[in-house]
Amino acid sequence: MKVIVINCGSSSIKYQLFDMPSEKVIAKGLVDKIGLKGSYIKHTKADNEPVSIEGEILDHQQGIEFLLGIMISKKYGSLKDISDIQAVGHRVVHGAEEFSGSVLIDDDVIEALEKSSELAPLHNPPNLKGIYAMQQLLPDVDQVGVFDTAFHQTMPEHTFLYAIPYVLYERYKIRRYGFHGTSHKFVSARACELLNRDLSTQRIITCHLGNGSSLAAISNGKSYDTSMGMTPTEGLIMGTRTGDLDPGALLYMASKEDTSISYTNILINKFSGLLGISGVSSDMRDLENAAAEGNQRAKLALDMFAYRVKKYIGSYAAALGGVDIIVFTGGIGENDASTRKKILSGLEFMGVKTDPEKANVRGKETVISAADSDVKVIVVPTDEELMIARDTFEIIKE
Amino acid sequence: MSHLREFSLGDKLKVKGKINTIGIVGCGAVGQSITLLVARHGIEVVFVDVSQQRVDEIFARMELQLDDEINHWGITPSEKRLVLSRIQGTTDFSGLKDCDIVIETISSRKKGTEVEPRKDIFRKIEEVVSDKTIISSNISTLMISDLADVLRIKGRAIGIHFIEPCDKTNIVEVVRGVESTQDAHEKVMRFCRMINKKGVTLYDSPGNISTRMLVPIINEACEILMEGVASISDIDLTMRETLGHNVGPFELADRIGLDKVMKYMENLYSEYGNSKYKASPVIKRLVRANYLGKYVGRGFYTYKDDKMISNNITCAVIK
Repeated sequence: MKVIVINCGSSSIKYQLFDMPSEKVIAKGLVDKIGLKGSYIKHTKADNEPVSIEGEILDHQQGIEFLLGIMISKKYGSLKDISDIQAVGHRVVHGAEEFSGSVLIDDDVIEALEKSSELAPLHNPPNLKGIYAMQQLLPDVDQVGVFDTAFHQTMPEHTFLYAIPYVLYERYKIRRYGFHGTSHKFVSARACELLNRDLSTQRIITCHLGNGSSLAAISNGKSYDTSMGMTPTEGLIMGTRTGDLDPGALLYMASKEDTSISYTNILINKFSGLLGISGVSSDMRDLENAAAEGNQRAKLALDMFAYRVKKYIGSYAAALGGVDIIVFTGGIGENDASTRKKILSGLEFMGVKTDPEKANVRGKETVISAADSDVKVIVVPTDEELMIARDTFEIIKE
Repeated sequence: MSHLREFSLGDKLKVKGKINTIGIVGCGAVGQSITLLVARHGIEVVFVDVSQQRVDEIFARMELQLDDEINHWGITPSEKRLVLSRIQGTTDFSGLKDCDIVIETISSRKKGTEVEPRKDIFRKIEEVVSDKTIISSNISTLMISDLADVLRIKGRAIGIHFIEPCDKTNIVEVVRGVESTQDAHEKVMRFCRMINKKGVTLYDSPGNISTRMLVPIINEACEILMEGVASISDIDLTMRETLGHNVGPFELADRIGLDKVMKYMENLYSEYGNSKYKASPVIKRLVRANYLGKYVGRGFYTYKDDKMISNNITCAVIK
């Protein structure tokens, strides 16, 4: 069965075509700068070099039309006809409390998603655009929604609630939802496979560190707590987001700078985090270069980032009553050895001991803890697309 | 080198009735806010103004406006570049030829900006655009049907009234003329949704809803002031606190510009002949004394750097 996985951002679409259940990637690519100047599709057919094709892409529907056109073209195609595609899996960021697992998309699901757009105004609308476009282009093909929030729906009330009047939770569903669920679920399961452990008995802390970052405390295969909250701004320090911030400081800042609610939202989501502290960049590599050249604020940003992760690891170890496995994933988690070292240093007291050689690994599944370490530390590259393809295949099969 | 066109799945899948480009004719303060509003929502804008020097000035002003937003944490520098990259300025009407909707927004402050010059602009727009393009005017006290009269395809004319500050006001008045078609109306309503505004549909009537309500309120406030009943700031305060208005009538009149307010009043009075629209002597005196409102730094209140610095009227003419 051919399953296409679609991940729509505000001006981009990531896609992968899988053969299931063999899980072979037939083609993948990126539609970028939708609705903007210089739009293009970077397409890679299995075992081939990527090709970049330029042209005007006005909206998500047209982007998806072109990528399907490429897939059935003689030049770069892998399919005879678009009817060869039997299922579409969509990454959907916010499923609110409605969705605790992946679902077949029907009118009721779409209605629920339109409602939950209020909770994720930046992410859900482009996800919906992808769903609408696929309904237009492949009206007879089943579509499945896989939610970033679904994995965390197992969090108990005492970890997902905010200490605000309970009635506000009842009225508006203001609570912590958590994100990156597909990734936390995938890497925790994969880590157990690689370590030959039974997922249902393990206390795991997964660190998804990228431009957006979050940690999850996983107990017996279920999410018990996670660092992102009602929105992806809570928790760790990120590229341009504050992470945890005293609400009192937020109000004081907004009053001093005389910013409206919408500008304050932009301030904490686009001007803050690593970029805001360093004044240099939101990108870890730029910061490391700047720090190496003596830029103190870049160094400070790196230190603050690592400290916040370490603090969360400590609190989650306490929450879980100990920890068996720590997993690193995401762009920074998989590739940035020096940040990982900073995070792990000083955690020897709780049984973390790294292998100095393996600790330098980049982007490969590797156990980086020493053989005699009580806590296993492992790097597992995330593969959200594969996870979405698996869920989609399972649901369609049923 | 391949081009994405080669991979199109055929016309039946093409995006239908898409609104890609908006034209703005006359890019004064209101035209600039509309231009920025539209470009912010991912739509290309072509504006036409009288000279290259003016086009350059308009770009410089819009850039200043965006820089100010960056300084107040409203947008990021890369978003500013993106917004500006969607805007083109020209002195040549032929630049509008690919526009889906063209909106005339010439200043209504200046003398001689009544119906005739706008009709002339409508004619010039129709000469260059396709038959499907909507031709619109940001009208408040004039009638879209009057302007439509000069068009070959009259059904494409429809009024779109943006209310200042147009980036913050959530509604747009969509004015259907006598001959406006259903298609034109639907397209404009879709455009409103694309720029995140609720389109309020109404039928051609001078003053629409907003200006027709505004004029008697300002006149009545002036009446109370002239009778010596209360001060400017207390009248504004009372309106804010009791009627739920964001700004009081005098603050609002200053923000719109008293010359513009007077123009609205004159137009409505000449249209309806009802004294409730007749320009108050207070407004007339202030306009004559060049107390034109916030944009000149003084009106009912005094301003510096766009901020109100005094709420005590400094103009002797109304003391």
